[in-house]
This record gives sequence, structure tokens and C-alpha cells, in this order.
Amino acid sequence: MPLKDTGGKGLATVEDYYQDYDSRARELRSQGKKIIGYLCALTPLEIITAAGLIPFRIKGDVNEPITLADTQMETIACPLVRSCFDISLKVNRNFLDGLVIPHACDSICRTYDVWKYSLDLPYSHFVNTPHLTNDLSLEFFKDELNTFRKSLGKFAGKEISDDSLSQAVKTYNENRARVRELYELRKSDPSQISGAEITRVLVAAMGIPIEESVEMISGVIDEVKQRAMVPTKRLPRIMVVGGQVDDVAFIKLVEDSGARVVADDLCPGAREFAADVNITGNPIDGIAERYLRKINCARTYREKKGTYQEYLEARFGHIGRAIKDFQVDGVVLYIYKYCDPFGFEVPAMKSYIESQGTPVLYLEDEYSMSTIGRLRTRIQAFLELISSR
Amino acid sequence: MTEEKKPEERKRRKTATEAAGRIGPMVKAAIRENLQAKEEGKPIAYSFIVCAYEEIIRAMDIVPAWTENYAAICAVKRDATRFLERAESENFSRSLCTYALCGLGFDVWREELGEMPPNPPWGGQARPDVMLGSGQMLCDPRNKWYQAAQRYMPDVPVYQTSLPWPPYEDDIDHREIEGYYVKHAVESLRGLVEFLEKQTGKKMDWDRLSELVDLVDRTWNIFIEAYELRKAVPTPMGTGDAMNTMVPLAFMLGTQEAYDFYKDLYDELQRKIANKEGVIPDEKYRLLWGGGLPSWFALTDFNYFNSKGAVFPVETTYRMAEPVYRLDMPKTSDPLEHIAWRWVKYWTYWYDKARKRPGSHPDVERLIQYIEDYKIDGVVMHEAFSCRTWHLGLIWQLNLLKKVYGDIPSLILESDIVDISSYSEVDTHNRIDAFIETLESVRSNR
Repeated sequence: MPLKDTGGKGLATVEDYYQDYDSRARELRSQGKKIIGYLCALTPLEIITAAGLIPFRIKGDVNEPITLADTQMETIACPLVRSCFDISLKVNRNFLDGLVIPHACDSICRTYDVWKYSLDLPYSHFVNTPHLTNDLSLEFFKDELNTFRKSLGKFAGKEISDDSLSQAVKTYNENRARVRELYELRKSDPSQISGAEITRVLVAAMGIPIEESVEMISGVIDEVKQRAMVPTKRLPRIMVVGGQVDDVAFIKLVEDSGARVVADDLCPGAREFAADVNITGNPIDGIAERYLRKINCARTYREKKGTYQEYLEARFGHIGRAIKDFQVDGVVLYIYKYCDPFGFEVPAMKSYIESQGTPVLYLEDEYSMSTIGRLRTRIQAFLELISSR
Repeated sequence: MTEEKKPEERKRRKTATEAAGRIGPMVKAAIRENLQAKEEGKPIAYSFIVCAYEEIIRAMDIVPAWTENYAAICAVKRDATRFLERAESENFSRSLCTYALCGLGFDVWREELGEMPPNPPWGGQARPDVMLGSGQMLCDPRNKWYQAAQRYMPDVPVYQTSLPWPPYEDDIDHREIEGYYVKHAVESLRGLVEFLEKQTGKKMDWDRLSELVDLVDRTWNIFIEAYELRKAVPTPMGTGDAMNTMVPLAFMLGTQEAYDFYKDLYDELQRKIANKEGVIPDEKYRLLWGGGLPSWFALTDFNYFNSKGAVFPVETTYRMAEPVYRLDMPKTSDPLEHIAWRWVKYWTYWYDKARKRPGSHPDVERLIQYIEDYKIDGVVMHEAFSCRTWHLGLIWQLNLLKKVYGDIPSLILESDIVDISSYSEVDTHNRIDAFIETLESVRSNR
């Protein structure tokens, strides 16, 4: 596939794709490529790419009032999922050839049929990711991925070979490595790249082929590294933790309130890029391991081993490590209304982080510009609290 | 301490069947037995309904404490708000499952006091020795609730069963993949037995388990055979009663008492049919309760429907069984394998039917079957704001029903299962009135 020439202008390319998110997908479709829409970080993208198809992550739009979705989906679903569905009914269905939905949370799992029947695309598949991470679940998940592989291969008109899977694994790992490299540029004080810029990069990357993402992010890294570091007033360094944040609005609000977002546990974000797929003889083994065990998402149940404190460490230790690595001054738990997986985590997560001496602000939001704006006062108060410490 | 609030007095709902009238005392007795069992040192397991582990815990003499049931009891008694507020004060969002919030609020309070919260409904919920969650194709709270509860009871171990079933796909016959689903479920249930043996010191009596598996098969059979008698015109039992009579299926499965209850119900319904005794004397409209858990604090709404000449001969809610002889079950001598097959076959039961009607779906096919079998005039659903498990997809099902089957009047009520602040009796009754007018108008225009 000919790569889109990004001309080495990383951030400019990012801005183009961020502003016109589906432009590359539409362009590729007009060139005869098949575009597969998907939801959530749990979708095993390597399999879609190995089939010669283009994965396109469905995102919402905080500026777009949800209208069409409400004729098919209850308003008690996660507001992000509703927005994604709304945009899909209004726009995405015009260029998508298929839909892949993983068993993430109830708002996704329980609406799979609503998506499938309403969009009525030529292909759809539900990847039944189990909830547990034990060996038994891993074996089941391998079977499930093989079912998906077979089904998607049938749609693509060719069997998905081990070689093409291995190649896809390599490319996705390369992309993850680039993102981790980009994150390193957040560690300095002040960070070399803002939280809003990071969000723009990661969102732009969700809508383009993986090879182009690698090139675009590499361009961003080169560009940011060349920035002259000008000493400025030290701003509070904030980490944002939550589900899928696919719009810059909230991150920008935090930064416009007088802070720098330097770390996250979000999708897209550190949660997705922390771990690679191991290179295994049968590539499905490595893919299954990563998507089941290495994405530390609240929807996946981690069994308690050892003391309760050790259990908290297993669930939230990565947040604690990021707080240290990125010199975080405060954490914002940014959780969507009606989100059962993250919602039930809040008390334990909040107290775990606070026990490390880091203040926490818990915000519940509804994925809309009108509700995001209302959070400003609480964010400002939180930043004042941090500054006074 | 949260100030104790006196629950609002609530009049009892009138039942059509003697069987439904027996349920209240049965549940009360079960709660009392749990508290007694706790005092006697018997192991108590926090449990969820529809997790396929009823026979296992019964065979091991482990006492289930059905946490959803206790939250519903709090709701029925209109005494859940103080527990919801307790959970909210812990930073659990009020938009989460209110069964879970009510249960967590209760647990937080009990753990803080070291004894039951003041005036707990029906004596309260005993502290568990183990908690048995479940990862399925629905209900995130089934694996998040008890995990969250461990914050307040870190010494109580949790076991999560893993019980997914094959999704309905156009390009995959579920029979091609059900083998690895069943294998997975069997091993997950085997893990549960090992967990319970380790945690409680009790040994599984495999012969007893086989007997209970057979008893559950027979209970499923008689349950549906009794419920299918409701096809009669006038119908001898409505959904209001079914929200009571589901109790033995949901909370007492694997006991002789559950089987006997449905045998009695079967006999009672036969008698009523012979006497042409319906839920109401003049049955004008037959409605399908097509989805959604009820507002437990407002079950009298079913009587309100009755007062307008409407009855519910059938519902999808809590009809969580099919006669086992219809499930195409392979023979096996392993009771765990039998449970796993029954589980997978139940959830895929409507798949073949859906494939025969272009554009249809198993959930919609089930509605169609009930509409035809029970001579239904309209469909009513309830959207409970706090539960995504059973309340997402209702609008879509009605849209698809219209597309593949035809127009049928429908109504979606909106409120919650536990949180009474979401409910307005006046608005609800106004909506019911308008729906009845629609039914009347459709009938007049026929």
C-alpha cells in the first residue's frame, strides 16, 4: 500500500487528521481499500491489518449533539459510546465496510446488535474477550481469536497467514515503541510536548493505517526534540486517568486552567501503548496474551493474589509508577457517567493514589462540551490546592 | 452515621395466584435462615442469580446470600435510599447499578458498625465467607461489585466464574464454536468447586451434585410448563405475579422446594383455567412484558394496568429457563459438563429460529413467538437507568420487531430497579393511560 507522504511535518499532519479525522479512511476507500470500523483498545488490530484491511477506530464528537443515536440506543449507555454510535449513523456508515466490536464493557457488549443491525455493514464480528486473565481464559481467548481470524479471512477473501500476522505484530510493536518514545518527551519539566498535543497525535493516529502512524509519530518526535526549551513558570503536572478520551477538549481545559498534563492512563494513551505483543511461534499466542493480560483496563478482572495491598498494587501499580516517572503532582480521575467498570474502581483507585501522597480529583462527565465546560471551576480549585502544597 | 430514615409506607400488591402470595413469606424465611446459618457457622456465599452455580453451592451445603435479591427487598420496602446514599458517600457514582450500590452501601455500613445497620429490612444481610462473581456476556457489576466490596471486606475471597456464550453472528453457526465455550465453562465451574473446597473445607459430593442437576432440569421443565398455561384466555396469571413467582427459579434453584413450588403453581393454574378464572374478570388487552427489570418499589403498577383491563400473560424478564428436553443437549455423565451444556444451549436457544426469518435476531424472534403464542396486543418494556445489562437494546428490539414482523403498539416506561428518586407515579400512570388509549384506537381501527 502506498503510504501517504507526511512530508516530515509531524504536528501539521497530526492537525490535519485531527481536524478531518476520517479523511484518510475515505481516501483509501476511494482507492479500493476496505475499511473496518472498531471500538475500544481491546480490538486485536493485528488481525485486521494482516487481512489486508484498514482498521479505523470509531470516535465520538463532544461538539456534536447526540440525535440519531437516540432513536436506536437508550440514553443510559455510556455517553462516549452513544456519541460514537451517533457519528457512525451520521457519517461513518458511508465509508465503513465492516465493524468489529470486542467484549469490553456492558455499554459496548450489550449494544453490539444495535450497532450491527443499525449500520447494516457487509461485515461485523464480536470478539468475545473473556473477563479473567487466568490460563483457562487465555486458552479460550486463543480459540476466540482463531474464530475471528477465520471469519475475517472469509470476508477478506483470503486466509490470514501466520507470516502476515507476524508482520502486523512487528509494525504495531514499532508504533507502540514510537508512542512510548513520544511519552519520554513528557518527562522533562516543563514537558517538551503538551498533553493536548499528545492527545491530538494519538487521536489522529487512530484513523490512519498503522504504517502511516509510525511515520507520522516519528515525524512528531523529531520535530518536538528540536524545540528550544524555554524556562517558564512551573505548572502543576497532572495525570489523567479514565476510559476513552478521544477529544482534546478535556485535556485542553485542564491545561488552560494552568497545568500541564504530563501522564495518563487513558485510551488512546498509556494503557494502549505500554505493552507489546510478544513474538511467538504462533502469532495468535502473543496477540492473545497482550490483549487479555497486558491492557490494564477496569473491564478486565484481575484475580487477587496475596494481601489486599498487593492486590491494589497489581491493579493500580502502573498508575503509581507513572506518578513517579512523570513527576506527577496530582491525578484527575475522569470517569464517564454510566461507566460501571471504571465507576466501581473509583473508591479503591482514589485511596490507592492518595495513599502515595498524591492528591486526586474525581470528576464524572457526560462527554459533551457543555458538561466539560462546567468542570472548569473544580479543576481550578484542584490546581490551587496542588500549588498551595 | 447516616441518619436513619423511616421508609415510606407501601400498600401490598394484590396477587392473582395463591402461589405468588406465598413468595413474600418464603423470601423472608430464606433471609432469616441465612442469618441463622451465619450464627451456626455455616459458610455464606454472596451470590448472583443466573450464574449456573446453584447446584454446586447447594451440593456443598454452602448458603447463598443473593445480593441482588436483598437490594430488591430494600427497594420493595422503599428503604434503599439510605444505602444508596452510603455508597455515594464512598464516591460510587449514583449512575452505577443500584443493586450493587444498595449492597455496597449496606456492606460499608455493616462493616463500619461491626453489626447490622439500624433496622435492616428483614433482619439484614449476613457477612459473607466467600463472594462468587461471574464474567459473562452481560452485567459488568457481576465482576466489579464484589471486587469493590473487597475494599470493605478484604479478608473475604472472591471467585469469578467465566461463562461466556457464543454470540449470534451471520457467518458463524454457533454449533461450530460451542465446543470450546462449553469446555471453558466446565473448567471454570471445576475451578469454583476447588475454590469452595479450599475456602470452606467442605468436600463436593458428586453424587449429590448429579441428583441436584437432575432436579434443576426438572424444575426448569415444570417452570416453563406451568408458565405456558398462561396462554389461556383469560390468562390465569400476570407478570405482576411472575415478578414474585420467579423467586424459586432465581433464588432457590437446586432445592426440592423450588420444584414443588412450580408443581403447585402448575396445579393452581390448571384449576383456574378450568374455572375460567382470569387475573381480571374482563380481559381487554393482552400485553407482553418484553424487557427490563421491574421497579421493585412500584409493583402495584401491574395492578394499575389490570384496572385498565390489561393483563400480562407473558414476560421475557426472569423467564430464564427453557424445558431441557427442547435444548438438544448431548448426553454426559459429568454433572459440570451437563450444567455447561445447559447454560450454552439456553443462551443460544433462539438462534436457529432467528436464522429462518430474514433480518431477524434471537431476542426479537423470542418476542414474536410470545406475541403469537400468547395472543398479544401490545408490548411494554421498562428502561431502568442504572442497569445497562438488561436495558440496552430495548428500543432497537422494538424497531426491529416492527421491521421484520409488523406494527404492534409498544410502551417503554422509564425509572429504575431500586432508586425511587427516578420514579413518578403520576407520570407513569399517565403514560399507561395513553398507551391504553392507543391499544383501544388500534382495536377500533381494525
